[in-house]
Amino acid sequence: MADRRRINGPVGATTPPIFDKPAAPAAAKTRDAIRKIFLKTGITPSASGSAYLELENPNPKRPGNTSLKLSCTVHGPRALPRSAPFSPHIILTTHVKYAPFATRQRRGYLRDSSERDLGVHLETALRGAIIADRWPKSGVDIIVTVVEGDQDRDSPESQKDDEGWDMMNVLSGCITVASAAIADAGIDCVDTVAGGVAALVCKDDKTAPTIVMDPIVAEHGSILAACCVAYLPTRDEITNMWFKGRLPGADMMVYDKLMEKSLVACRCANRVIVQELNETVRKGQGIS
Amino acid sequence: MAQTIAIPGQLLGPSSKYVAGPGTHIHEANLYSSVLGTVTVVQPEKKNVPGPAKRLTKIAGLPSSSAQLPTISVSRTGISEKREVLPEVGNVVLCRVTRIQPRQATVAILVVGDTVLEAEWQGVIRPQDVRATEKDKVKIYESFRPGDIVRAQVISLGDQASYYLATASNDLGVIMATSEAGNVMYPVSWKEYRDPETGINENRKVAKPF
Repeated sequence: MADRRRINGPVGATTPPIFDKPAAPAAAKTRDAIRKIFLKTGITPSASGSAYLELENPNPKRPGNTSLKLSCTVHGPRALPRSAPFSPHIILTTHVKYAPFATRQRRGYLRDSSERDLGVHLETALRGAIIADRWPKSGVDIIVTVVEGDQDRDSPESQKDDEGWDMMNVLSGCITVASAAIADAGIDCVDTVAGGVAALVCKDDKTAPTIVMDPIVAEHGSILAACCVAYLPTRDEITNMWFKGRLPGADMMVYDKLMEKSLVACRCANRVIVQELNETVRKGQGIS
Repeated sequence: MAQTIAIPGQLLGPSSKYVAGPGTHIHEANLYSSVLGTVTVVQPEKKNVPGPAKRLTKIAGLPSSSAQLPTISVSRTGISEKREVLPEVGNVVLCRVTRIQPRQATVAILVVGDTVLEAEWQGVIRPQDVRATEKDKVKIYESFRPGDIVRAQVISLGDQASYYLATASNDLGVIMATSEAGNVMYPVSWKEYRDPETGINENRKVAKPF
């Protein structure tokens, strides 16, 4: 579907071509934690609640390297449109949109199927956390804008097999940032939901695959499978799970281990949410 | 004074020790916070020495032991001036009349209790809810005019679009009205407002001044 209403930029890459030999991909660091997260609430004054999330850039010196940057706004609870039928609980609407410049391949202004897919996943993840019947007859819109899509831009060889593994990282970030924004908006939740990713990676065909948390797609030779989970830590409940890839058939325990690692990643992300929400309240008390 | 901060999902205490107030929920006999804010614990009022025993006029539930427990709640005071609340059945609200029709008056709810709302919620006052007596003789255009400020009570969540409101009480009804000439009027009786400039009376469902 061509977008005829807006002035679209040229289709193709968002970075200028580099006719130099690409730098050797950075060796995957062995870390047993997720990347550092920067999270801040209340960045959009006009919204009822908002949050901004940024992941640590693994190689800040290389120009083409980017990390994940997400901005989330929550509008509501507000009255439903007149045409909507009676609803005894809150109506949750989620939008996930990549900025046109967020990824290597330029995005359009209309949401494509992958963005709608992320929106559905996000809605499922949040629906399990929100106490919907506290707000009858009202609706809430949750809009996540992906400012940077966690794609390595200066390794052309990784452009060939773009299998969309970075979407997992984007989704887990979306869940975390939306959770903070919902708490900022004052919508009742049973817990602060957080997202986390774990992946089964292997460097080459000879070495045995290993499980890493919060995989940086460009750093690993190939990703065999990945798992993104939305998790309520105090309740010990999972609200959404997205598993993708193929597991080497022999070991059935890999699936369990992958899940466990994603839960550890969720708990790490939740620590950041808890700290930032505490900060939000303290800041509010300081002013008033 | 440092207050305890609560974030959604934080354990507040067992439900056998507290009564759940606003901003909390109960899960597996424990109380958890459901919003971001500060914790307040309100001790129950001491029961006065019972006076002469009243005859029971209505069926009441057994006096529960939970009435003696302190109420724990999480409020968002300090985080933002904005407070999103919904009109609930029984609340007294202030609203502005937006349009009148023979079968109903449509209003925009502006204030619930003491809270000024962020969003405008639509309400409807039907003729049978305007006053408590002579309900069959009520005419909407003799009770409200567009622009009036009305104090009303929420009687129902209503349909998909609007809450149902009632003014069937002495202290409910129009509290501010402007005349057709555009002047602010003062109440002269339970059903009339007078324009101080022109001296003309207009019909309203007047709220009793406090």
